[in-house]
Amino acid sequence: MKLDAILKNVLKPGRYTGGEYGQVIKNKDKISARFAFCFPDTYEIGMSNLGMKVLYNALNMMPDVWCERVYAPWPDMEEQMRKNGIPLYALESLDPVKDFDFMGITLQYELCYTNVLNMLSLSDIPVYSFERDERFPIIVGGGPCTYNAEPLCDFFDVFSIGEGEESLTEMTSLYISMKKDGSYTKSKFLHRLAKIPGFYVPSLYNVKYNADGTIKSYTPIYDDIPEKIQKRIINDLDSAPYPDKFVMPYIETVHNRITEEVYRGCIRGCRFCQAGIIYRPVREKSPEKVNEQIKCLYENTGYDEVSLLSLSISDYSRLSKLTEILLEWTDNEKVSLSLPSLRADTFSKELMDRISSIRQSGLTFAPEAGTPRLRDAINKNVTEEEILHACSLAFGGGKANVKLYFMIGLPTETYDDISGINDMGTKVVEQYYKTENRVKGRHPSVTLSCACFIPKPFTPFQWCGQNTIEQLTQKQNFLSEKITDKHLRFNYHDAKASRIEAALARGDRKLSAVLYEGFKLGMRFDSWDEFFSYEKWEKAFKNAGIDMSFYANRTFSTDEILPWDIIDIGVTKDFLLREYKKSLDSVPTPNCREKCSGCGANRLGGVTAWCPKVSE
Amino acid sequence: MVPESVRIKFRKTGRLRYISHLDLDRTVRTALVRIKIPVWYTEGFNPHAKIVFAQPLPLFAESECELLDIKITEKMPFEEIKRRLENAFTDDLHILDVYTPENSFRDIAFAEYRISGNFSVNENRVNDFLSKDININKKTKSGEKNVNIRPQIYSLKLNSDGTITTVLDASGNSYLNPDIFCRALLGDNADFLITRTNWFRSENHGITEFR
Repeated sequence: MKLDAILKNVLKPGRYTGGEYGQVIKNKDKISARFAFCFPDTYEIGMSNLGMKVLYNALNMMPDVWCERVYAPWPDMEEQMRKNGIPLYALESLDPVKDFDFMGITLQYELCYTNVLNMLSLSDIPVYSFERDERFPIIVGGGPCTYNAEPLCDFFDVFSIGEGEESLTEMTSLYISMKKDGSYTKSKFLHRLAKIPGFYVPSLYNVKYNADGTIKSYTPIYDDIPEKIQKRIINDLDSAPYPDKFVMPYIETVHNRITEEVYRGCIRGCRFCQAGIIYRPVREKSPEKVNEQIKCLYENTGYDEVSLLSLSISDYSRLSKLTEILLEWTDNEKVSLSLPSLRADTFSKELMDRISSIRQSGLTFAPEAGTPRLRDAINKNVTEEEILHACSLAFGGGKANVKLYFMIGLPTETYDDISGINDMGTKVVEQYYKTENRVKGRHPSVTLSCACFIPKPFTPFQWCGQNTIEQLTQKQNFLSEKITDKHLRFNYHDAKASRIEAALARGDRKLSAVLYEGFKLGMRFDSWDEFFSYEKWEKAFKNAGIDMSFYANRTFSTDEILPWDIIDIGVTKDFLLREYKKSLDSVPTPNCREKCSGCGANRLGGVTAWCPKVSE
Repeated sequence: MVPESVRIKFRKTGRLRYISHLDLDRTVRTALVRIKIPVWYTEGFNPHAKIVFAQPLPLFAESECELLDIKITEKMPFEEIKRRLENAFTDDLHILDVYTPENSFRDIAFAEYRISGNFSVNENRVNDFLSKDININKKTKSGEKNVNIRPQIYSLKLNSDGTITTVLDASGNSYLNPDIFCRALLGDNADFLITRTNWFRSENHGITEFR
């Protein structure tokens, strides 16, 4: 077989063979729709993604649908595939993706967009949607980036907006029924799909622009499709489909363990954070359901580590109850718990004791900004005392390493705020030596990790221009010189990659041309340092005749039509604007549990929501 | 009870050819938890199941005789262990036998391999190959070394179906990687598939069954 011959010539061939325990195999003759679920990054990253596991399970629960997995081949494999005429294939059947009914591509981060085009090309599928006739699969996009997928509009047939457990099954069911009653054509299917909530068919909306390049209007081309596409949510997480088994990778992946989603959404509303807004309203699973699902996954996977996933685990209202019922059996079975996304203000001794009962995971906190003033402006309601207290607990618990996340380039930031990052690091080091019950004879290591602020759609900061590369670099250098304590370590993100992310995140349909130029330049794996080339991106923008700063650095007017205004996420633009204005006065907003600020997400429903208006 | 040693014999084929030894080790560990075999755990700070493989299999090779030892802490009939193991893997890892080990992995002296593929070797080539020193460049930690692998080849025979059967040294001190052997005999670019078929102990200057 051709594949066997080339697998000897590539790194980590286990990425490309499939055949893992737990994969779903179905009889092709009894299937009405085949769905290739593509993750546009490596196998190791894609196999760790919970959303993909959830949707793989939800689709395969349908007896007449077979969902398979596809990941982006590393360039060495791509070279071998192209040389030997092997098109992109799905791991379960090893059949070419182009023979499927659907190619679903999850869009998790902007820098994977170049991989999307490359994967279409590797599948022998034309990249532009207008070039694809009935012979090709329907190309559907999903995931967080679809809340503004305008830069990808020319390449996709449809985007699934919001949570996909129910909507993807509705989509495949419609397809199957239209195929069966003979009414199917691609254009009729897309038109009918556009009438189902949560489906955005970009070709059915015309966009007009003003002379200055901003958007003049979005107009649906049919009267019977909605003007705005409302995102879908799962009403009740306890009854939503959740995998009872995982595909068990043979090779080491990024997160090779049980991942259990505990709740969706976030009560906080940090003003830079997209996830905290787009996943509203907050909906929790019951502790009993979480426990039951973990137990089931433990028995079907054999993993000895469980990760409780959410945007901020210590905000789960019944965390204490949950850890209690989990520890009733996990200790005996030698299963360890890890809690990513801890908040310093709700971190307690009790919680730390529980998670360190078998193996201790590293501790990371995210103050995000160096001064109380800026933390108020970004609505990160955590005080210095709370951070020092949390670190002190960690030090007392035997830890000497703490990692603190910050952002540079936040709206309203001054150089005092940047100095504040160093001040806080220094205080954490001092706190170590003040902690009486620390492990004696060791020295602390405090890592200050600084990302660059990226304005994201559907956040109060969506209108804010990003700092220029020069400004960001200057700030990074300034901070680097400030940091002198030998126990502090400083690392920061590449300002150039952050700029590309900003431009794509706030991009409109005109950026499809940039992505196409990038594709022609052979760009791919831009989320990997070894492949990211700012020079190539500059060239792609230049070849497309597009000014990057228009999207990355420009402060958008609050009156202008934003490229993502076509999407209704529940949370209103009015709320985002109110939050934006409050940020300019450094005024924080209470979290959802303290007081409802009327964000609007409760319009979408959601039982067990932590939204007071829904609970009433 | 005193932990009881159990030896598991299995076939490793198909897509598992591309899975390394370490990855196989992890795969087996999670599987043993899934099927609730009462495996003995080490009692250190980081308890882990005690499982030992006879020898790693080179990447891209298949095997009909992989051996794995575990210790169990509760009595369980071997048929029951076998039945559970059969459901714990895909068809590429097929359980052949579960039994009480009679020999220690330390006693393994030779392994037998079948080499198949798209190559042609005749008697003359085999006789010529075996008649003199076989010097190859071997990469070691301290750089490349020129070594003669002839003493590590116990036997080599051509089968009527065009495949080769060979018995190579597999002892701890002078193990010969079958991949190196194949390259020496067939050339670097030859298309071959190695299948490990048996293990042997040394006995009275000869070889005998390993169990």
